[in-house]
Amino acid sequence: MHEEAREALAEKILDLAADLACEVSISSSQRGLTRFTHNAVHQNLASGDTSVRVRVVASGGRMGVAVTNDLGAPSLRAVVARAAEIARFAPGDPGAPPLARAAAALTPPGAFVAATADATPEHRASIVAAIVAEAERASLWAAGYVTTARDGITIVNSAGTRASFDGTSCGLNVKTNGPDATGFAECYGNDVAVLDGAACGARAVAKARAGEAPAAIDPGPSTVILEPAAIGELLSYLTDHFSAQSFVDGASFLSGALGQSFVGANVTLRDDYADPALCGMPFDYEGFPKARLPLLAAGVAANVVTDARYAIRLGGPNTGHGFPAPSGSGPEPTAVVVAGGEKSLEQLIAETANGILVSRFWYIRPVDARKTIVTGMTRDGTFAIRNGRLAGGVRNMRFNQSILDALAACEFASDAVRTSGYGYSMIVPAVKIEGFRFTSTTEF
Amino acid sequence: MTIFDDLAARALDTARARGATYADIRFEEGRSERIEIRNGAVATLADASTRGYGIRAFFDGAWGFAASADLTHDGIDRAAALAVAIARAGASIATRRFAQEPTDRFVDSFATPVTRDPATIGLGERVALLLDAERALHTTKAVSVGRAWTDLWRVEKCFYSTTGSRIEQTLLQTGSGISALATGDDDAQDRTYPGDVGLYQSGGWEIVEAAALRENAARIGEEATQLLDAPQCPSGEFDIVLGGSQVSLQIHESLGHAAELDRIMGWEANFSGTSFLSPDQLGTLRYGSKAVTIVIDNTLPRGLATVGYDDEGSPSVVADIVRDGTLVGFEMSRDTARTIGRTTNACVRAASWRDVPMIRMCNLNLLPGDVPFEGLFDGIADGVYMESNRSWSIDDHRLNFQFGCQIGWEIKAGKRGRMLKNPTYAGVTPQFWNACDLVADADSWLAWGTPNCGKGEPMQTGRTAQAASPARFRNVRVGVGYDA
Repeated sequence: MHEEAREALAEKILDLAADLACEVSISSSQRGLTRFTHNAVHQNLASGDTSVRVRVVASGGRMGVAVTNDLGAPSLRAVVARAAEIARFAPGDPGAPPLARAAAALTPPGAFVAATADATPEHRASIVAAIVAEAERASLWAAGYVTTARDGITIVNSAGTRASFDGTSCGLNVKTNGPDATGFAECYGNDVAVLDGAACGARAVAKARAGEAPAAIDPGPSTVILEPAAIGELLSYLTDHFSAQSFVDGASFLSGALGQSFVGANVTLRDDYADPALCGMPFDYEGFPKARLPLLAAGVAANVVTDARYAIRLGGPNTGHGFPAPSGSGPEPTAVVVAGGEKSLEQLIAETANGILVSRFWYIRPVDARKTIVTGMTRDGTFAIRNGRLAGGVRNMRFNQSILDALAACEFASDAVRTSGYGYSMIVPAVKIEGFRFTSTTEF
Repeated sequence: MTIFDDLAARALDTARARGATYADIRFEEGRSERIEIRNGAVATLADASTRGYGIRAFFDGAWGFAASADLTHDGIDRAAALAVAIARAGASIATRRFAQEPTDRFVDSFATPVTRDPATIGLGERVALLLDAERALHTTKAVSVGRAWTDLWRVEKCFYSTTGSRIEQTLLQTGSGISALATGDDDAQDRTYPGDVGLYQSGGWEIVEAAALRENAARIGEEATQLLDAPQCPSGEFDIVLGGSQVSLQIHESLGHAAELDRIMGWEANFSGTSFLSPDQLGTLRYGSKAVTIVIDNTLPRGLATVGYDDEGSPSVVADIVRDGTLVGFEMSRDTARTIGRTTNACVRAASWRDVPMIRMCNLNLLPGDVPFEGLFDGIADGVYMESNRSWSIDDHRLNFQFGCQIGWEIKAGKRGRMLKNPTYAGVTPQFWNACDLVADADSWLAWGTPNCGKGEPMQTGRTAQAASPARFRNVRVGVGYDA
């Protein structure tokens, strides 16, 4: 559903709500995904949906939410009535913010690309074919996906908020598989033109080839160089600490410690939806404009992100990082950008006498969230570095590592790229870390 | 659901006219409600309904899938045509064929047995129960966050195929739980009850009543607080006893995903990963000790994944995966089963109408042993008892794992002793299951549900169950992550 249609529908629902304090969110999406393995497509799909979410805020902060994807008039009347009914049964909440009029937010240029929105299954298949050709040429088999999507959202409320956004996204992920080694490459963006199947296929093939006959090495503290996909996934377990909710709960390492220095002065993380490599949604799920703000500034804890509730709670600004209210998860950074250093990835490798290059991590989970200790595995391209050169593949290893300790002894590469995982997209360069704690190894 | 009969006929006719040699369509009307209370306030109180359909079309050895909420004739025609076009696009670059047309035909219906329909419980009463339970968590000032929640999922689905199948199902799943977060100097400790995500099963409000949230809330708040001052779990090699919900998680991660035949065949290679298992190990691999028998049972009363038919239209079955320690089966779909000369055991699910059906772990149960729970401690000179998962990580072949629990107790001379904080353990899958020498009896066996299992691209959140009782494992590496 296009912006104009969503806005018209939202106004119609607000009219149905009459005198109620009411917020209406309309989300629409169209997604296509072509998935392949053993050099052939095995899952190939398209789906689309538009859903309406109505939030009624009654006296005393009592809230009710109802959602439907049936856009017929009886259903729309029913969803408003249901939200109002739920609000009547909800307990009062003195901390609940009243609905407010949010300022307008500007969509960054490049967020919506028509070629991505209109991409066909044939186009996705052609990208897959280019990947497969690279794999077959090397006598490997490839598995992965190519996806294209368009998403739109409109948020209006009875206090006067009017916010709409349309964006596109696309991604490519490939794993190449040989007898005893695998390789990996990925590419994400808003414009389907960035998905270069041949280049990604070749990159993944090169890793699988270079990793053949992996050597077993003893786990222990090591100098590592993490490529963007690896450090991105690691940092995704840090972002929750910058939530005002975690901060207030005492669950964040930042709790009571804003302004303190935690890591090296070479570490700067910011949240910036408008970074040209992200071009994300300029407002949050309550319709408030997103601030572009530092999280860690030269190693110092600079900000936590807020939503309407936590802005009141902390007596500070609403940074526009809310999820659909009421939210149990609280606000969170959604567009982390890590500042690059001065050296290229190749220079970092060349300056490493003895280390390990990690292409990608897998299944990172918190071991001790408050202390930022996480565990996880390497996968799909782990290499020894000897005397400044890659020196063959090594078997995969498990690590147990404090993220803050890692950032206290690190050097970022210069070139940052977009990486994505479950629930995050961020811009991050490769990084060199001293004393990274590998704790066990595998047989592959 | 008979309102969908004519739409289904139209979709299947359109798919055939476009060249599909088989097609099926699955209509779903889903309704979900989540109530979450957080520190006395509503964190979530939402009633969501969704309806739509997914069409699978088969052309020249390739599948296409299209999903839509457009229930008009034009919408049905577009989705059916798109499903066929997608199948053709896949076939056009295919160098091998993964699939064959199904031939099964079933006309049937199924409904989840429900003792107390949640719809008969007023919303005010349901909210009051959670407010009461959440309030009871705050036994000390250290409890900075209390939470209490319920989830209700009701789905009506109807499956039609070009082979003449028509399967109508009404499924109801219910869950609830409480958790307390206690915070102190540089430390935060979580306790959740029941298990680590709550109690999730198929059925109605009786599931919430069985959880007894209010009755257990004060204990959970106290335990979270006590953990702040509890000694650190030691590091080293110990005998361990795992509580039932942690055994459930252990089954889920180190057998459930490993035995999915699509993973074994490389269909999930780039994301969820592959498996250390292979078809030639069936009947020979010593997966675990003689004490370990694990079965698929998608007919299990209360099992969170219990259905009459899976989303390929195959009837639920009971099937062995590990029998007396030996690997004997996999979780399979029609296409994957055919590759190893077997037939499906109906483990195909889609998270919603908009999702493509794929192999999912369903009800995968460790059969109970014959010793009472307390008997697991007998003979342990120096060990650790752990409950309620806090951290779970396993490699992409499902071999090297490291799990952490919310709470532990030392075991000295066969008796449970002091509380321990931050217990973790690690191992390698078959060695670990072969170190299992006792499984507790049916008195402590429970159909633990997992409502948040992620798999596939786009990611689908599946609801699975691993019924289990507590179990004992010998000589396990403990305290990983906290050792120097």
